[in-house]
Amino acid sequence: MEIVKAVKLHKYFGKLHVLKGADFCANRGEIISVIGPSGSGKSTLLRLLNHLEIADRGSIRIDGQYIAKENAEGRSEYLSGKEVLKICSRLGMVFQGFNLFPHRSVIENLMEAPMMVAGLSKSVAAEKAEVLLGKVGLTDKRDAYPGQLSGGQQQRVAIARALAMDPEIMLFDEPTSALDPELIGEVLNVIKNLAAEDMTMIIVTHEMNFAREISDRVVFMDDGAIRATGTPDEILVNPDHPRIRAFLQKIVRA
Amino acid sequence: MDIDYLSDTIAYIAMGAGVTLKVFFVTLIFSIPLGIICALGKLNRAKALRGIPGALLRGILGGYTWIFRGTPLLLQLFFTYYGLGILSGGRIAFSPEMAAYLTFVFNYAAYFTEIFRGGIQSIGKGQYEAAKALGMNPWLTMKRIILPQAVKIILPPLGNESINLIKDTALCSVITVTEILRNANRVMSRDFNISALVIAAAIYLLMTFVVIQVFRRLEKRYAYYNIR
Ligand SMILES: Nc1ncnc2c1ncn2[C@@H]1O[C@H](COP(=O)(O)OP(=O)(O)OP(=O)(O)O)[C@@H](O)[C@H]1O
Ligand SMILES: [Mg+2]
Repeated sequence: MEIVKAVKLHKYFGKLHVLKGADFCANRGEIISVIGPSGSGKSTLLRLLNHLEIADRGSIRIDGQYIAKENAEGRSEYLSGKEVLKICSRLGMVFQGFNLFPHRSVIENLMEAPMMVAGLSKSVAAEKAEVLLGKVGLTDKRDAYPGQLSGGQQQRVAIARALAMDPEIMLFDEPTSALDPELIGEVLNVIKNLAAEDMTMIIVTHEMNFAREISDRVVFMDDGAIRATGTPDEILVNPDHPRIRAFLQKIVRA
Repeated sequence: MDIDYLSDTIAYIAMGAGVTLKVFFVTLIFSIPLGIICALGKLNRAKALRGIPGALLRGILGGYTWIFRGTPLLLQLFFTYYGLGILSGGRIAFSPEMAAYLTFVFNYAAYFTEIFRGGIQSIGKGQYEAAKALGMNPWLTMKRIILPQAVKIILPPLGNESINLIKDTALCSVITVTEILRNANRVMSRDFNISALVIAAAIYLLMTFVVIQVFRRLEKRYAYYNIR
């Protein structure tokens, strides 16, 4: 049962052709790691699924509903902004740079969208936020401001904030790349716990061990398209694709 | 120089201070919202504002801020008070105070437009993306996420402009608005001594002191977090 399906996505930034016919799908409950060299279009693909970027060509479906459909000329045609926002609210996103709201305390970060978008009352939103803070191990930071937290703590708050909207699909764009090495583990652990809950997850990452451990499927992107997809073992352990081998060697050396 | 003379002079100039304060508050109350609206107009990239309508809107707003920031406030006062009357053959005639309000509101809104635009633009695009990913629409994002953070950034320049505004109100004297400086000047030329000027200076200092304190408080209120 495909909950995310993107077909022949093309994306240009000005003249730069970044996605060149990327096909991507995710089944409900599946955990997919997306790997590939820098500039191959991993972030762009993720951001298209979440409507943070607009596709030029191709179609995107979330749980069977088209948010973008190819028209007769092959251009992507989108639903209205309001409708897209509604469908995309089923996706949560975690950014490399956290993007917490600095003027709001930790608990307020978690309550903002549930109250303003989902229409929860303050008390219900607060209760929910407390539960989520417990889940990411930050109950004692509820009244801190993001600027007072370590990077790892900020990213855990960001994960809890996304979960507060009850997403069915979580997108992670290199959630640990901005972190000091000693803080990576705590964030990966939170993501692993989520994986145990049957959440659909699409994770762009350079953490190969983590990808191998957590993923149902690994997708290799290169030069704007998906060049290989398979089990973690097929892609990460015994890849027969020379580009993957070259990529993995580079990562190991780095 | 006796006590009676001084207290009469102070009372007379204080009447002018009432007018000065009126110009001050009318200007702030109207030019701040106008500035926010113009700043949002300049920054808006909504679908309806792509292409020609958007270019037209930005052109008009750009012309507006250029004209009001690019010519002397004194000239603008003359234009509103005398110039419009001449141009319209006497059909448009404002009272001195009305001419002062109009000129100051549009002049300061032009500065505020640029201050707000800068403040809003200094908020990173990650904030918009995080809000959107949480399902917040552009209006909610602006109201709840962007503007509250922009306020912190624009408070210092806003404070500076408010101090400038107090001093700029003195320009209204040239179109016969009976504010502090005009009254002080009349006393001075009548009695040929400068005590009126000293009193006027003291009143301006008092006013700017209060404004400085108010903004210091406001900035403290926003000091609880840092935008990084
Ligand atoms: N907003 C933008 N404007 C212009 N070019 C962009 C923009 N976003 C991405 N690009 C370019 O598109 C290409 C693909 O970028 P993308 O961020 O998707 O790569 P990536 O696979 O995520 O790389 P990394 O591993 O470095 O994050 C890059 O060449 C990048 O410079
Ligand atoms: Mg990236």
